[in-house]
Amino acid sequence: MTSLTTFYLSGIIGKEAYDTDGEVVGIIKDLVINAMPSGFNDGGQQLVTGVRLKIHKETKFYSFRTFRVVKAREKLNVMCSNLVELKSDDVNNGLLLVENILDKQIVDLNGRKLVRVNDVRLVTIQNGTFAIAVDIGIEGLMRRIGISTPIKKILSLFSINIPAKFILWDDVQAVDFSNLNIRLSKDYSKLHTLHPSDLADILEDLDRKSSMSVFSSLDEEKAADVLEELEPDAQIHMVENLPINKMADVLEKMPADEVADILDELEDEKAEMLLKEMDKESSQEVRELLEYDDDLVGSIMTTDYLSFSASKTVEEVLKELRLKKPESAELYNLFVTETNDELIGSFNLRDLVVAEPNVNVSQIMKSEPVSLFDNQKASAIAEIVSKYNLLAVPVVDRNNLLQGMVVVDDVVEDLINKRRTKKR
Amino acid sequence: MLSVNIRKSGFLKNLAIFFAIIGPGIITGSVDNDAGGITTYSVAGAMYGYGLIWTLIPSFIVLVVIQEMNARMGIVTGKGLSDLIRENAGVKITFFIFVGLLFSNIGNTTTEFAGVAGSMQIFGVSKYISVPVAAVLVWLLVVKGTYKIAERIFLIFSLSLLTYVVSALMSKPHWGEIGSSIIHPQMEMNTQSLAMVIALVGTTIAPWMQFYMQSSVIEKGLKIKNYKFTLIDIVVGCVVTVVVAFFIMVACGATLHPNGIVINEASDAALALKPLAGKLASQVFAFGLFVASVFSATILPLATSFYVCEAFGFEAGIDKKWDEAKEFYILYTGILVISAIIILIPNAPLIAISIWSQVINGILLPVVLVCMILLINNKKIMGTYINKPVQNIIGWSAVGILTGLSLMLIIMPLLRR
Repeated sequence: MTSLTTFYLSGIIGKEAYDTDGEVVGIIKDLVINAMPSGFNDGGQQLVTGVRLKIHKETKFYSFRTFRVVKAREKLNVMCSNLVELKSDDVNNGLLLVENILDKQIVDLNGRKLVRVNDVRLVTIQNGTFAIAVDIGIEGLMRRIGISTPIKKILSLFSINIPAKFILWDDVQAVDFSNLNIRLSKDYSKLHTLHPSDLADILEDLDRKSSMSVFSSLDEEKAADVLEELEPDAQIHMVENLPINKMADVLEKMPADEVADILDELEDEKAEMLLKEMDKESSQEVRELLEYDDDLVGSIMTTDYLSFSASKTVEEVLKELRLKKPESAELYNLFVTETNDELIGSFNLRDLVVAEPNVNVSQIMKSEPVSLFDNQKASAIAEIVSKYNLLAVPVVDRNNLLQGMVVVDDVVEDLINKRRTKKR
Repeated sequence: MLSVNIRKSGFLKNLAIFFAIIGPGIITGSVDNDAGGITTYSVAGAMYGYGLIWTLIPSFIVLVVIQEMNARMGIVTGKGLSDLIRENAGVKITFFIFVGLLFSNIGNTTTEFAGVAGSMQIFGVSKYISVPVAAVLVWLLVVKGTYKIAERIFLIFSLSLLTYVVSALMSKPHWGEIGSSIIHPQMEMNTQSLAMVIALVGTTIAPWMQFYMQSSVIEKGLKIKNYKFTLIDIVVGCVVTVVVAFFIMVACGATLHPNGIVINEASDAALALKPLAGKLASQVFAFGLFVASVFSATILPLATSFYVCEAFGFEAGIDKKWDEAKEFYILYTGILVISAIIILIPNAPLIAISIWSQVINGILLPVVLVCMILLINNKKIMGTYINKPVQNIIGWSAVGILTGLSLMLIIMPLLRR
């Protein structure tokens, strides 16, 4: 007996397990692994904790600790020293390899995309059996169909190799639990390390049930970031299916203009319910933005901007910024206003940084800055942004009172969306 | 903005929802009347007059029941049919279904290009020009990413299928005879007419349509609360399919059958209509055939490569780059190129190809249907939305009858020897 046996999941499913006397114990239906990274070994391996065994007509879970897989003359044998039933805790916290992984879509964390599992590679060593990788290659597919060996032989005549494609266990995350009743958010912990826009792409490719359960496992900050990156269709799906109070918390974390865009697409009653559930301050901003028609500047402006009075010193402004820790987009352009919000000037980070600390804002600002009207057609924005090389343009109303600003990111996004809808 | 929508009255609101939802059923119904379908209906009309029109009624019922199941599965699971089959039926059955689907759809696409060639010949364009041009245009249309617009244009163009109604009326059919042949269905029990019935049913309920229907429902993002509108959409789509089929059979039955003209291809029917119903009727028929062929030649290869990739886990979709989704683009281009080349080979065995792709269809259909019925009755997958007994009875009897017919189709040529 060798101390190390590697084998494929497809190689032992449906096979009989034997006891020490060579008698059949039962038929192997599925293997259970720990859903959470065990921390017991290095992360690349996952201990097989249990086995679903069919004995006569009954199917039950047993501990895999008493099982060993050995290879004798190219033949796999599963040996069992004695049967110990698996604790229901271990079953509930476990992941079933056939039921949840095999033939299902999983997330490839390195490639940041969905792949379909053709087989699972396992190894038996001294201290147990471990899942080490998933097979997503064509070779695995042919092995499952049972034509791998003959085709490999034929191809080897032309010296063609079918490359095997594996992903290590550490780099995959199962997402499809539609066959199980409940799943806890910690099951998706590996996904939370992905960049929001990658995660958004994956959610769009997933079926709706799974994407919903992954999305609801995210904390509010992350959920807000991901929601921003989703396509409108997918955004609507998430917003409509998440519980109102949780959704409202997520929306509060998003820029008001993005929220307004989403609510604009919802049914009125639903939108109203969400606005009522959100905190006063956020919902008020969103309501104001909702007043604007789609083609007006007001509909793509953000109300997250920073304004200061002209009499503040540079040092005071910097202090305030350190305290507030604003998002980077808010720093694209900084505004100077009278107490009634009338726009009188603007300055940027460079102006601020190169100035002496005790200088007044009024001395570093550019007065009469380029601005847009909130009820101006949105088509005017691109020209102004490119003409004056601005990262953000202030938006004022008829009385020159500051209402918000248009950020170049949103302008670009708007242009891309327009082109895309044209294409489709 | 909030106030505007609220003012809509109940009826207008319902109408608005309906127009937002229609599409999957009606498009599937239109694609169903492709070159292969038109050929089969024309040949049936020419050979048996009004005699086989009754087959459209059971076909219609089965079509509605099957498509409703697809829509329901799509809405409830949010997964494509190929996804569901792969995840629940295992690799071997999946492999069988999709290899079959691939071959039958190469055959079907070939039939579509035959339709392009035949219909353009009537307008005096050689097939050596029309087929390559159509293939390149279809390829560009899909790969260069204007597919969504194209789909809508096709949908409008597919209204030209209704020109068959005009063709039929111009041929002055005998309505009394049509009525009585529907009320008293009759069928000669010989191999030829049996084969015709199988072809008629098989072309109306093609296996790939089930996959197509389910993914368009998902793409459209339909929800269970708007289910009744989806149902209307499906019924309308099936009515379109059957009405067009009806009028093609009537047109050919009224003109070609009494004169004993036998045809092999749909374009033969267009040509044969000329002396009997006038030049206009013939050109109208040819135009409809052309549009239907290009429409299906666009959708068939695209859909087929998509489902194959979905089932085997390759990346797919026209929004992906060539490097990201190599398998998808190779499959898609391959199907188009192979089908177009077959048509351009002089004396290609077109009839044999179309019969063989129908045989594969006939074998595949019961397998796909059995998978579907098992999936839709699985509570783990469908929850409370599993089939009602009536749906199961219709579904299983369709499987039974279709299996019987398909078996006969395979056995009959053996008996003939």
